[in-house]
Amino acid sequence: MTTTARSAPGAARPLVFLLAALAVLAFAVLASVAFGSHPTSIGDVLRVLNGTADANTTTVIESRYPRTALGLLAGLCLAVAGTLMQGVTRNPLADPGLLGITAGASAGIVSATAFLGVSGQWGAVWWALPGALLAGLLVHVIGSAGSGTGLVRLVLAGAVVTAVLTAYVQAVTLGLPRVFDSYRYWVVGALGGRDFDVLLSVLPPAGLGLLVAVLIAPGLNALALGDESAAALGTSPAAMRAGGLLAATLLSAAATAAVGPIGFVGLAVPHIVRALAGVGFRAQIVFSAVVGPALLLLADVAGRLVLRPQELMVGVVTAFLGAPALLLAVRRMKGSA
Amino acid sequence: MTVVKIGRVIAVPVGRNGAVAAAVTAALVVVAAVATLSLGRLGIPVADLPQALFGGAEGKEAFVLGRLRGPRLVVGIGTGAALGLSGALFQTVTRNPLGSPDVIGVSAGAGAGAATAALFLPGLLPVPLGALAGAVLAMALVYVSTGAGFRNPGRLIVAGIGVSAISVAFTQYVVYAVERDRATVLMAYLNGSLSARAWDHAVTIWLVVLLTAPLVALLARRLDMTELGDELAAGLGAEPGATRTAAVSLSVVLSAAAVSVAGPIAFIALTAPQIARRLTGGPGPHLTLSALVGALLLVLADLAAQQLPIPGNLPVGIHTMAVGGLYLGYLLTREWRKGTL
Repeated sequence: MTTTARSAPGAARPLVFLLAALAVLAFAVLASVAFGSHPTSIGDVLRVLNGTADANTTTVIESRYPRTALGLLAGLCLAVAGTLMQGVTRNPLADPGLLGITAGASAGIVSATAFLGVSGQWGAVWWALPGALLAGLLVHVIGSAGSGTGLVRLVLAGAVVTAVLTAYVQAVTLGLPRVFDSYRYWVVGALGGRDFDVLLSVLPPAGLGLLVAVLIAPGLNALALGDESAAALGTSPAAMRAGGLLAATLLSAAATAAVGPIGFVGLAVPHIVRALAGVGFRAQIVFSAVVGPALLLLADVAGRLVLRPQELMVGVVTAFLGAPALLLAVRRMKGSA
Repeated sequence: MTVVKIGRVIAVPVGRNGAVAAAVTAALVVVAAVATLSLGRLGIPVADLPQALFGGAEGKEAFVLGRLRGPRLVVGIGTGAALGLSGALFQTVTRNPLGSPDVIGVSAGAGAGAATAALFLPGLLPVPLGALAGAVLAMALVYVSTGAGFRNPGRLIVAGIGVSAISVAFTQYVVYAVERDRATVLMAYLNGSLSARAWDHAVTIWLVVLLTAPLVALLARRLDMTELGDELAAGLGAEPGATRTAAVSLSVVLSAAAVSVAGPIAFIALTAPQIARRLTGGPGPHLTLSALVGALLLVLADLAAQQLPIPGNLPVGIHTMAVGGLYLGYLLTREWRKGTL
């Protein structure tokens, strides 16, 4: 009796949180469709869905569908990638943006477009992947030089790689303005100005990454107990780590190809998710898939409202929201390095 | 080791290595300056340069010297020196080779302040003051966020990355709000640029450098003592706490002045003191040499920005970010492998 009384709220609580998160996500989607430079209301959205709105309003509302869908996908990818990376590396500062993976994906896309004559979204997406992988490996190699690896080393190596790659991306996009006119907003990280074609083109890597993430979640739970326990439970720690990082890279590359380098979603969401979902990885991934899109869409809506009728790119808004999360995490860092 | 004395108060120990390195660096700055003025399609031939400089220039030469490259060069030298000096002071205080204003977010904060002053409050707040306010705010934010002041090197760097990100986001917000999406304006405030500088920029930066230089010289010996450890320094009468506060203040002022005339140019403040330390091989902050190396690095980077056949007229900040980033990566792997960082 007492055990049920004690375990029942513990089991029910994540479910309540999940429902609450889903409600926030639903609100974020509605808000993303309803708010923009042309003022419409949530009531208008409902009328469009009924089919009772006038043609003008319908066009305005429907023009916001692609960016909302992109926000959902990118938020999901970034949040799940961050959760995987923080789980696999046991590093609370792991984030595709901080560890150079997003910058690598950008550099890959920009190189392919500028020098390999790859044109169109469908070709460019797959070039994000080698860029992301190479940058991730490079950060790892620099960060683990010599004896011992620390959180700070990886973050610092990530900052260095990001700086160099950002300089490269800016140099190429500034130097070839005709090629990169459509990339001007993408370079900062923005949801607007892209269409459903972009979404479809990144679905394969995103889907693949998500599939791997779900498949290896039980293995990651074992890994959290320590390498030896994981091996005793029949999972290979090295394989799990490689799988987790590969999935995270696929997801980050897909998100970057779709909406540009957006930082701090992958950093902040896992911290929220761990507080809500507890330690199980399957639950963490499900929660990330809900909280990430909600956060990104709300950030995008905020960006549309603060400078109306101009827009603030969502990458700028997430930095505002996410960087303080980094500052809060700093205080919890242990030791001197 | 000899000691150069100026009056009774200032006594700067000068190693022979240091003096030679300083002389060579200064000579290289002159060479780079001559190259800046004489290379390229609009350059003044070296043979005509003395005549143009001292005999009064006319026509095209007057335009190149007085408008196009002269101010840019003078601003570049002053800014580089300010950044080098600022980095040397900060790195000495934090006892952390990576604790320089551009890594821990002070430069980015100054950039945000400069953008706010120039775009949101044009005419109300002078840009250098805005940069100073931004730099102080960013530094305070880093100091508070670490929960341990500047003492914990790891936290200092991660907090700096966070504060940089906030500052960059704020700068982007200001630029998008006022200038819409003019890429060149954004570049100037985010990466730093020396193109289209005027003589009043040169006056600003040199005024700050020349006013702070004697104060830095006064501080140099005490700063050397603080490197021995707080107790020993206090025993020698160096008042370590006050010395550090003074050094950080001077460093922030120099950094803000540099940013207000040229934008947050990356990695000069970080690398110049490192190179200076390697040139002399001795301990200590090497303030003069850091300033000279900083000037040399920035003039060379700007020479590359002007003369390299890269399309798009990249601002100098992108060059320093690429090259400085590579150098930092090399430095990190080497030091970590040796276990000295």
